[in-house]
Amino acid sequence: MRVIDGGEAVGLAAVDLPACRYQPRWSGRPDSPEGTEVKRDNMSTRERWEALVRGDELDRVPCLQFILGHTAVVNGRPIAKIYDDAGASFACQRRAMEMYGYDGLILHGWANAGGAEFGGDVEYPYRPYTGAPMVTRSPVQSEQDAWDLRVPDEIASVGTIPVSLEFSRLQFEAGMPCTIQVGSPLTWAGSVCGEERLMRWLIKKPDLVHHVLRVVTDFILKKAELWVLEFGPERIMAFDLCIETNRLYSPSQFETFAFPYLSEVHDKLTAMGVAIFLSHICGEQNRNLPLWSQLSFGRRGMVSVGREIGLSAASAAFPSQVIMGNVDPVAIQEGTPEDALALCKACVTEGKDHPGGFALMSGCEIPPLAPPVNVFQMVKACREAGWY
Amino acid sequence: MTGDHEILELLTKAVEDGDEEAAARVASEAVAAGVDPQRAILRGLVPGMAELGRLYEEGACFVPELLVGAEALYAGLDVLRPLISVSAEESRGNGVVVIGAVQGDVHDIGKNLVKMMLEVAGFDVHDLGRDVEMERFIEESKRLDADLLCLSALMTTTMVAMKDYMARFQEELPRTKIIIGGAPLSQHLADQWGADGYGENAMEAARVAERLVGVSG
Repeated sequence: MRVIDGGEAVGLAAVDLPACRYQPRWSGRPDSPEGTEVKRDNMSTRERWEALVRGDELDRVPCLQFILGHTAVVNGRPIAKIYDDAGASFACQRRAMEMYGYDGLILHGWANAGGAEFGGDVEYPYRPYTGAPMVTRSPVQSEQDAWDLRVPDEIASVGTIPVSLEFSRLQFEAGMPCTIQVGSPLTWAGSVCGEERLMRWLIKKPDLVHHVLRVVTDFILKKAELWVLEFGPERIMAFDLCIETNRLYSPSQFETFAFPYLSEVHDKLTAMGVAIFLSHICGEQNRNLPLWSQLSFGRRGMVSVGREIGLSAASAAFPSQVIMGNVDPVAIQEGTPEDALALCKACVTEGKDHPGGFALMSGCEIPPLAPPVNVFQMVKACREAGWY
Repeated sequence: MTGDHEILELLTKAVEDGDEEAAARVASEAVAAGVDPQRAILRGLVPGMAELGRLYEEGACFVPELLVGAEALYAGLDVLRPLISVSAEESRGNGVVVIGAVQGDVHDIGKNLVKMMLEVAGFDVHDLGRDVEMERFIEESKRLDADLLCLSALMTTTMVAMKDYMARFQEELPRTKIIIGGAPLSQHLADQWGADGYGENAMEAARVAERLVGVSG
């Protein structure tokens, strides 16, 4: 049995796990359209999640979902509610998790974090075709704006913090990890300054970029203190959404502008006692992996990779962390159920024996209007091909 | 007096270095030295951007370098373009392009790079910006009698808009060729949705555009 310290650190109740391997039970009827018999689970989703976090034995590969707007769609609610209404968001995500039978994740956050917190304008996705919040006016429009950027004295009421805090209170009451979005500072800085402006400054005004990154990092650390004070570090799961792909930034730009600040955030949160880190390494970041692998992930790291990073490469880079991936979300959106199932089963087969633990997940957010049956195929693939 | 050849090389280097001030200054020197503005653009500025594009495709330069290179390119163009008189027919260049990011998507770095590479390739590009509604694409493409329509979407959450757009465009704009691009997209999706082309990056998009209008790259 693999045991990694940290299970209790997310405030999850201890579970008595038998020492022997779980054996699948059979439903006894060919209830799949493919004519296969679907095995019944032997662990609840909660038990499976807890075992994954602790590094304990699992009945089968867990299915975690990077899924936000879609949970509103299947609940018949506006997608925007996932982002601007903590109660509705929490309810939609729990209902979707129950309906599909996946094992997590439930969280509040999005790729363009930071824009609202420093005073920019954010549009929530109420209009047709909008699937996630958009920063419609970044708070920094000029070099002077950037030099004037400061961490607000009181951050509990700025930007999306009140909704995120309320969401974490609901997680706390439900006995779940309280999630907090903490990275990466460079991704946040892109929302604060506008990505294109920031990229130009990277070349022409590197000192200015470092100033912005310093302020953003200090903001993130102050935000983390807020969470630690209210929920206790052992209940927190910190997560990063990092878009520093090598289609945009060079490895050396990642090393100079992303890694030092991301590393500082992880180190300082670890020092605060935060035990669990979940990092979504978005897009093609193969050349950044050597640095990613040097990050502190507290007592348990969970690393999410996209289709651009092979599971074998991820496994080699993070041998003792949980790997989550790497189903192409476009295939879930556009593929047939048969193709989606085949792809998911291939991922399960490739990743299931990763020594740090493996969970099937999409490589980026599931598109909100993805066919529900394809989302379900992810769970089904774990049930058909993921047994240990 | 700096010779023509040397001036053209300096223009190229200014773009490669992303040196906006140098590009504007050397462009002015080129004018003063009697260099044909069209030649200064095509033999001076454009090769600089083409070299950056080549390096990007080799993984030796990245988007920040492309963006500052584009700034230098435009600084030179601002000096040289007003001096070129063109007929209405000539102003269409290699073709008229309408470009924009689809509704719900405010990420436009990739779209801006495609726009720049298309301009470098001699197209007359009309940029509708980001978060562009379907009807606006149709109206502008009809008004301009566009040869090409380029659609961008960065997010998995916004790419589905493109699929719906494609179905309408095929009805409304039968003559206009459509190119799609953006991180979640692929040649496979372009084929599936009925697009005429797919650009994996800005340089590829420009080559596809040239192929679709029948001009050599």
